[in-house]
Amino acid sequence: MNLSMTRIQAILMKDYKEFSRNYAVSIMVFMPLFFAFLYSKTGSATIATYFLSINIAFSMVTSYVQCCLIAEEKEKNTLRSLMLSPASLGDILIGKSLFVFIITVVIVALTIFIVGYNPANLFILAIALIVSTVFYIAMGTLCGLFAKTIMEGSLIVLPVILIFSFGPLVLALSSASPIFKIAEWLPSSQLVVLGEALEGTYTTMDVIIPIATIIAWSIVTWIVVGYIYKKRMVD
Amino acid sequence: MNAVIDVQHLKKTFNKETALQDVSFTIQKGEIFGFLGPSGSGKTTTIKILTAQTEKTDGDVLLFGRPANEMKQSNNRKRFGILTDNSGLYTRLSIEENLLLFSNLYQLPKSAVKEALDFVNLYGDRKKKISQLSKGMMQRVTLARAIMHKPELLFLDEPTSALDPVNTQHIYNGLRKLNEMGTTIFLTTHDMSEAEILCDRVAFLHKGKIRAIGSPKDLKKEFGDESITVELKNGASEVIQNGNQDAEKLFHWMQSNEVSRIYTNEPTLGNIFMQITGSDLV
Repeated sequence: MNLSMTRIQAILMKDYKEFSRNYAVSIMVFMPLFFAFLYSKTGSATIATYFLSINIAFSMVTSYVQCCLIAEEKEKNTLRSLMLSPASLGDILIGKSLFVFIITVVIVALTIFIVGYNPANLFILAIALIVSTVFYIAMGTLCGLFAKTIMEGSLIVLPVILIFSFGPLVLALSSASPIFKIAEWLPSSQLVVLGEALEGTYTTMDVIIPIATIIAWSIVTWIVVGYIYKKRMVD
Repeated sequence: MNAVIDVQHLKKTFNKETALQDVSFTIQKGEIFGFLGPSGSGKTTTIKILTAQTEKTDGDVLLFGRPANEMKQSNNRKRFGILTDNSGLYTRLSIEENLLLFSNLYQLPKSAVKEALDFVNLYGDRKKKISQLSKGMMQRVTLARAIMHKPELLFLDEPTSALDPVNTQHIYNGLRKLNEMGTTIFLTTHDMSEAEILCDRVAFLHKGKIRAIGSPKDLKKEFGDESITVELKNGASEVIQNGNQDAEKLFHWMQSNEVSRIYTNEPTLGNIFMQITGSDLV
């Protein structure tokens, strides 16, 4: 793939300037921090609670913001202008994802700090969080590509927020309705599984399976993103 | 000759509606070619097919001797510039920030931004946000973006439709200069005077079909007559045809100082369009 650092950086800087002047979307990054603050005050210090805050941060910041940025580009026809420039598919997707990636890293780190989570193995957790960020950016991009306007985008991304933030909570119902066991394979649930494993004695497979599952979700979603993007290049 | 655009038997249908039917034309390097037709005649669809934004249904479309579909490749996109009515701008950014973004995407020096701003007469307003601009100013920014990388081929969809006469003239001068430097221009417009001022050749597009093609001069010759109208001082007027009998009549009026005004009956491109298609250009 033809990649150019100048182009990626130009798109990143443009997104930063646009985002910092777009209060309707930029205010969303503070929501997970507010939720994290509320959870920290409940006195509940379980892995499930920590990861609920982290998963909310992924959905509400990573997917939502990315979706809105892409949907706005579509609404204002600027995505087509980028597509008609010499910027390649990789330049545009990486450039547009990098900004949300940086915000996500900051917000997730702050969320972990606010809820008071002290992971037993920060290195493995960091890898899982980075892979998760890549997945949630892909989900946001996909929702944005399907939307024609920001309004439509913020509706399309709602199921993503619900399913991926609160999916692990559905697992509690799986003893009554086994169908809900499927939620175990959501990236958000796998993150909780990994977090719980890291707190005890764990095997290599306990680490590999959750991370591999999230990577598989990311790869599939990015392939779909690439396909839809190319379709959106033509009317 | 170097054909920059070669379109043969182009057809485009949307569901069951035919937008373009058997459209054929060739544009040589360095030409300014006008594609004239009313709204909905297929002008924008043609530009979209040429710039690989829409798939054709049938026919052959070559740009620079290669299938138009190859214009999707990022390196080929440097070869053309485009201005359409839906070319988006980043409304929260300033004029300069918008152009700087694209100068980086085209990997141009910063001086290209100033040159482009001078071209559209907007250097003094460069710090203004796009959201604060009038439609005409936005159109000039989009034009600046389209020409900034000095493309070999420039697509302009109604480039001066929202501009005042002073800026229109400024843009005409700039386009002529760009053309003298070697840029081929494909222009769509309703404005017949614009086509006459700028274009080397024009094509009349009506209901998805090309009805006539040629230089404005040749079309006028083909579809006009060579008559002149003579207005006499007594208020009468008469149409004089090319021939001995009428020449004698004119000579007599002039000798007896009866002539008030003489003018040719050369048709405008608008008249010719109406004559061929039976409908107006609006």
